[in-house]
Amino acid sequence: MKRKHSDELWLCLHFPQLPVEIFTREKTEKPVVVTVKQRITHMNSIAMALGMRVGSSMDTAYVLCSNIVCFEKDHDKELLALNFLAQWAYQFTPHVALKTPASLLLDIKSSLSLFGGIENIKIQLQKGLLHLGYSVVLGVHHTPLAAHISAKMALPDVAPLHDTPIEMLDIEPRILESLQKMGILSLHDTLALPHSGLTRRFGVFFADYLQRLQGEKSDPQKFISEQPSFLSEITFLSDVTNVESLVFPIRRLLQEFCEFLMARQLKVSTFSFTLSHRSHKPRSFSIHLAEPENDAAMFILLTQLHLEKINDVEEIDSIRLCARQFLSTTALSGDLFHGTRFQQKDGRMAGLADHENSARLTNILNARLGQEACFGLSLANDHRPEKAWKPVQQGSLEMGDAEDNHRPLFLLPQPRALSLHNGKPEFSGGLALLQGPERIDCGWWDTPVARDYYVARHPAGALYWIFQERPRKPSQEPSQKEQQWFLHGVFS
Amino acid sequence: MLSKPSSKQTVDLHSLMQKSGLWRASSIECEFKQGVSSGYPALDQHLPGAGWPLDGVTELLHEQQGIGELQLLSPALARLSREQTRHILMISPPYIPYPPALHALGIDLASILVVQVNENKDMLWALEQALASKSCSAVLCWPKKINDKQIRRLQLASKDGNTWNILFRPTQAITQSSPAELRIHLSPAKYAPLNFHRSIHLKILKRRGGWESNELKIDFDDRLNQQTPDFSELVIPSTDNVKHETKT
Repeated sequence: MKRKHSDELWLCLHFPQLPVEIFTREKTEKPVVVTVKQRITHMNSIAMALGMRVGSSMDTAYVLCSNIVCFEKDHDKELLALNFLAQWAYQFTPHVALKTPASLLLDIKSSLSLFGGIENIKIQLQKGLLHLGYSVVLGVHHTPLAAHISAKMALPDVAPLHDTPIEMLDIEPRILESLQKMGILSLHDTLALPHSGLTRRFGVFFADYLQRLQGEKSDPQKFISEQPSFLSEITFLSDVTNVESLVFPIRRLLQEFCEFLMARQLKVSTFSFTLSHRSHKPRSFSIHLAEPENDAAMFILLTQLHLEKINDVEEIDSIRLCARQFLSTTALSGDLFHGTRFQQKDGRMAGLADHENSARLTNILNARLGQEACFGLSLANDHRPEKAWKPVQQGSLEMGDAEDNHRPLFLLPQPRALSLHNGKPEFSGGLALLQGPERIDCGWWDTPVARDYYVARHPAGALYWIFQERPRKPSQEPSQKEQQWFLHGVFS
Repeated sequence: MLSKPSSKQTVDLHSLMQKSGLWRASSIECEFKQGVSSGYPALDQHLPGAGWPLDGVTELLHEQQGIGELQLLSPALARLSREQTRHILMISPPYIPYPPALHALGIDLASILVVQVNENKDMLWALEQALASKSCSAVLCWPKKINDKQIRRLQLASKDGNTWNILFRPTQAITQSSPAELRIHLSPAKYAPLNFHRSIHLKILKRRGGWESNELKIDFDDRLNQQTPDFSELVIPSTDNVKHETKT
């Protein structure tokens, strides 16, 4: 038989324990089983050691051990985990395809020279997956289907598949049954049958399957998309009620997250955590960064700062980290002479780390004090003193025209009314007017302002910026009625 | 016979130098890093390093706001803002630092960052983070309450982060000991009731390599010095007076 696709090389990652491992990402000493209709389908090694077997009922399991943890099989979660693993495997090759229920197919032909051979890839995959808490069986073959079979049977690389029992093939139970009745038990027997007869008896799909398995027909795979989103979840076996015990799982999620970002040369500016429990509504919080980052230590610090603020945690049984929007990294050249400051084009002295440090500072201040606590200052084009400036987000500076007149260094957020003493304004001491008036009369379009500003001095020496309201209607004579005085600024 | 006691003496002297705040008179001049000029030559000659320090804690003690305490720093802040890419951070200022005035004093607004904190605990935390972050050239802070232990921490953080920390404190703090490197008492100039000349008196209470200074007088070169008509009698300016003023 001629193989058309023998130059291809596929690696299959098969996760036999996936249904149980999605629940046991945290190390545990407890037996954990996964059930379908009260029958055990999967279990962890501790349950296995206690004598539990696939197919036994939960009653039997409880007899063997009373503190057993039981989960209903969760297909959605398995698919999420498989997607996560596919994104993780993306660091080895851009061609990763999902093979449900519990396998991934990687086209590794083009990655061989980068990773220095198939053995290196396998070692790195195994090491990485062990770290993530998933057990894996690897299979390598020339076609995707053959790789899948070798993985399920844990065969050595590119081993002949002729002795494969037909139960291992991915075929309909109906066909499987009739083949067994015909006394055909292995792949070798199946392939020995005439091709036309097989097509006639079992349909085109089966024949097609065999051709794809052998590489006689091409087998296009649906590779995962390049625009990724990150989602990883840790389930706790017992409910968590205090924030401190969340630190380790969070650290682990964030480390996975950063590996994910590194592999794709991405940065992120916002990510969110969801704390959930089966009996009440999940609670989420997001971490926003001033600048896109991909630094695990930074993320951990920010999340910890955020957690410190949360003090009314209800019980939690799972934590999920999610990020959807990414930005690509611009590689920064390193600093040859460590810490040197150099002169920039505009004549300022700068260090390479300045920008990074400043983003870091803004991040941690925002994380603990809130988004609005930290702001920059900007001028605005308006004659009304309270509108001649505005707070801006850092880095988004707008320039306005500055007033030429003398202005105080401190402006009160709200003008403070002053009382009068012998006809003079008073602020814990009579104020003497030094300079003025400067009339500001504008803003008819939103909040009209008509004021006479003066520089005034306190007997103790301080200089204040005060104003007197002008009457709104020009007909009204100012001398008729005393207008209110206000303190608006301090010449610090 | 001769060498033994002398060697013992040097060891003792050495350990003394290590332990206490002693310094050799000969090393006064060279030990100071060049500071940033305060913009007032009269002040520069009294400051170690011929200017404001580039790191460490500087305490400015004053009774009242509005005596020119911020204006005193403005030439140095303007310089730092234009010469470095690092921020000038203001933590819990009593009022809004007014951008038009900062701009007029030559401070680059792009480098100014303001942090408003309500709790004293958070303020100290933000202050230490900012100092240690190496991303600020100067950090100005108006602490409501601070003790010497906390100032010591700030002193270390500011040395580490190469950041100048300015604390504005009330005059009552004069009696408390403080690990700050530089302590200056500010008081308004005693002028005649309506003298427009603006100036500030300052007295250096503590500085490295020097004693307490005499009272210095710094004159501000601001537009308040311009001659303006006497408004002492004038509470509500009538239109006649304004006209008269423009004619003269």
